[in-house]
Amino acid sequence: MDQNTQLPSASKDFVELATEARKTPATSESHHFLPNDKTATSSESLAELAKQNVAPFLTKYHPRQYAPLSSEDGTPSIPRSVNAGYCYRHQPDSKCRRQADEQSMRQLQQELETLPQDDQQGIAHVWSLFSAAPAKQRKLMLQGILAQCCFPQLSFISASVRELIRIDFLTALPPELSFKILRYLDTASLCRVAQVSHRWRALADDDVVWHRMCEQHIRRKCNKCGWGLPLLDRKRLREAKREIELRATNWGNETVNQSSNTPGDGAPNGTCSVVTLPSSNKRKIEDEQSCHQIKRHCVSPAYKPVADDDYYKTRYRPWKDVYRDRFEVGMNWKHRRCSVKVFRGHTDSVMCLQFEDNILMTGSYDATIKIWDMETGQELRTLRGHTAGVRCLQFDDTKLITGGLDHSIRVWNWRTGECLSRYSGHTEAVIALHFDSTLLASASVDRTVKIWNFKDKSTFILPHPEGVNAVKIDTSSRTVLTACDDGAARLWDLDTKSCIRVFHNHIGAVQQVIPLPREIELESHLADCENDHISTASNNGDVPPNILSPILEAKSLAVQPSSFGSSFDQDQDRLEPPRYIITSGVDATIRLWETNTGRCLRTFFGHLEGIWALSADTLRIASGGMDRMVKIWDPRIPTCQDTYEGHSAAVNCIGLSDSRFITGGDDYHVRMYDFRA
Amino acid sequence: MATPQIILTSSDGVDVAVERTVAERSVLIKNMLEDLGDSGEAIPIPNVNEAVLRKVIEWCEHHKNDPPSTGEDEDNRRKTTDIEEWDQKFMQVDQEMLFEIILAANYLDIKALLDVGCKTVANMIKGKSPEEIRKTFNIQNDFTPEEEDQIRRENEWAEE
Repeated sequence: MDQNTQLPSASKDFVELATEARKTPATSESHHFLPNDKTATSSESLAELAKQNVAPFLTKYHPRQYAPLSSEDGTPSIPRSVNAGYCYRHQPDSKCRRQADEQSMRQLQQELETLPQDDQQGIAHVWSLFSAAPAKQRKLMLQGILAQCCFPQLSFISASVRELIRIDFLTALPPELSFKILRYLDTASLCRVAQVSHRWRALADDDVVWHRMCEQHIRRKCNKCGWGLPLLDRKRLREAKREIELRATNWGNETVNQSSNTPGDGAPNGTCSVVTLPSSNKRKIEDEQSCHQIKRHCVSPAYKPVADDDYYKTRYRPWKDVYRDRFEVGMNWKHRRCSVKVFRGHTDSVMCLQFEDNILMTGSYDATIKIWDMETGQELRTLRGHTAGVRCLQFDDTKLITGGLDHSIRVWNWRTGECLSRYSGHTEAVIALHFDSTLLASASVDRTVKIWNFKDKSTFILPHPEGVNAVKIDTSSRTVLTACDDGAARLWDLDTKSCIRVFHNHIGAVQQVIPLPREIELESHLADCENDHISTASNNGDVPPNILSPILEAKSLAVQPSSFGSSFDQDQDRLEPPRYIITSGVDATIRLWETNTGRCLRTFFGHLEGIWALSADTLRIASGGMDRMVKIWDPRIPTCQDTYEGHSAAVNCIGLSDSRFITGGDDYHVRMYDFRA
Repeated sequence: MATPQIILTSSDGVDVAVERTVAERSVLIKNMLEDLGDSGEAIPIPNVNEAVLRKVIEWCEHHKNDPPSTGEDEDNRRKTTDIEEWDQKFMQVDQEMLFEIILAANYLDIKALLDVGCKTVANMIKGKSPEEIRKTFNIQNDFTPEEEDQIRRENEWAEE
């Protein structure tokens, strides 16, 4: 009988109840004990049976414990491997072993105690035998028991089993697979996962997960959830990508901290093994201590205060924090939570504006340009020089260029307020201008768009049938977009100085034309788009629409000639024009076009009168007009998302960023809507 | 005409015959066959037992005509809940089998099956409260009440 008393503590199935019951207190840990040794004396025959049958069985399969001497010699029939006797899922070093549940153990014990001694003894033997048996024998035993069960018993088993097979996947799987699972989760679920346990939190808060979330959501609509977050430096995202990949592979190793802090140290990236052995040593063996180490090394490096090194601090901000910031701004947009600031100072309609960082510039029919501090609302400078209203402006780090009703274009040093030069190439009011690197395009009531080359001082003209209201250069494709009073928007090739495409569908003048960012992804959202408005393309109108592959890819495939003309095929460095553009007009509509086919994909209805102001980024379109309203649109959705009122007269201009929009109106006011947390 | 059969030997020593094209859904097996040539000998699969191996083969059978797996990026853009119906039914197994399928798919390098397995687990997590998650996967809450409270506040922002 005493041989029975020392089952390996490694097999923690409920069967232990029977055997551990007679363990000496010294070897037992936390388990409750079953009836004591008295059972042996009161059931002689059963004990005898046990000696004959049970003991040899146990001796055979657990030689270490039951026959120490013979096992030292090594019986050839028994494999020497330590774990040979176990089902591979029950190996002592396996993390996914089912844990004995103390409460059910106690219940089991209490239940057993209610039985007569003989029965207790018998049941204990059955359990002992099962406990000692190797996988194959266990399976046979179970099959035998199942074969004897009636339906109610099978039903009991089926219900119990469902309850019992619950596996802590994230702990039991190798970390790279756990991360793979977490990558399929949404923001709210990830944040709930972080509240489950220490281990789950360490995984769910890790940069591996949140870097991916940032990639998927920031500055683009995630196709997974249709949710987009505001801007973040894409370069930073890309830079971090490799170190994050490395981190996912090595997660939990002591070296992770180092490798993740030294991107580009030449560590082999190709070692990210897809074929990993799911053997038990691959699963992480964690005692309390190593668990703490992991937390220290993997979760908190970013929190580590690095004294007097601001660069370091910002660089290693955890991606979850970055995501959270962006998420909050996104939620503020969604729920219209914003602060409004009004800039007062102009004495006539505000016609144009631009803002970067903390600097806002506005141009007005009062013939001045004002420079504002956006945080304080303070007017920093007023630039005077135009002899009539200012209609357009654009600034960069060093210069400001303005155009106005006085037919002139002026270049300013906005930091000093000095007017550097004045150009008078137009014979009527200058309505719009746009510069990029060395080119400036100006649009005028005189029915021309003029292209100015800063480098070689050359100029040329793109003639239009009527006055031109808007112009946008795209340097990478060397094209320019124009919006004209004749009801059409046009795409021009700056190399050939010819019109490539005409977008004709508005009724009345087109007021604005802007490209959507190249990285925008609309394909899957435009299935229901309008197909019936094919515009009059000036050439190649019969080229089949290439819906599935984005323009940039289409070009690299180079299977078909560019729909924009042969000059796009000859120059490898020349990108095709932005795939999508939007226009707005006096007909109170916004239209979305596909440039390579000239098709109008969608018409946005909602404004009541002409739309003068239009702006867009990868997440949204903002528009304002005669009806005094500002409307926010999602290019993927035909209906207006939000309407903001505030101006007491027409909205003439609008600027949009990830967290704000600013409008200027006929009420002389400039209004800033700020969605930052 | 049926393609040639190969024999796989499971971890518990059972030989399973399978069409070569079906088995080649596993990049591991495909590479082995390419490297070693088809000698006609059984290929040992030491990490996968018979029950799981048969289950995996069942999946490979059904998906034998799928186009080769697409890149990681493509995968990002599909919805989590987008598991095709057959796969969803296929994955209606107990957690142990699901666990084993994931490990086997990882070991055998069958990306699409691994994706489906991981998505299935993700869907089991999705939309649940921390306590419901603990219940689903039998996890001990090892936070102190103070920790729990603090972590809940840290993560509040994600709840609308």
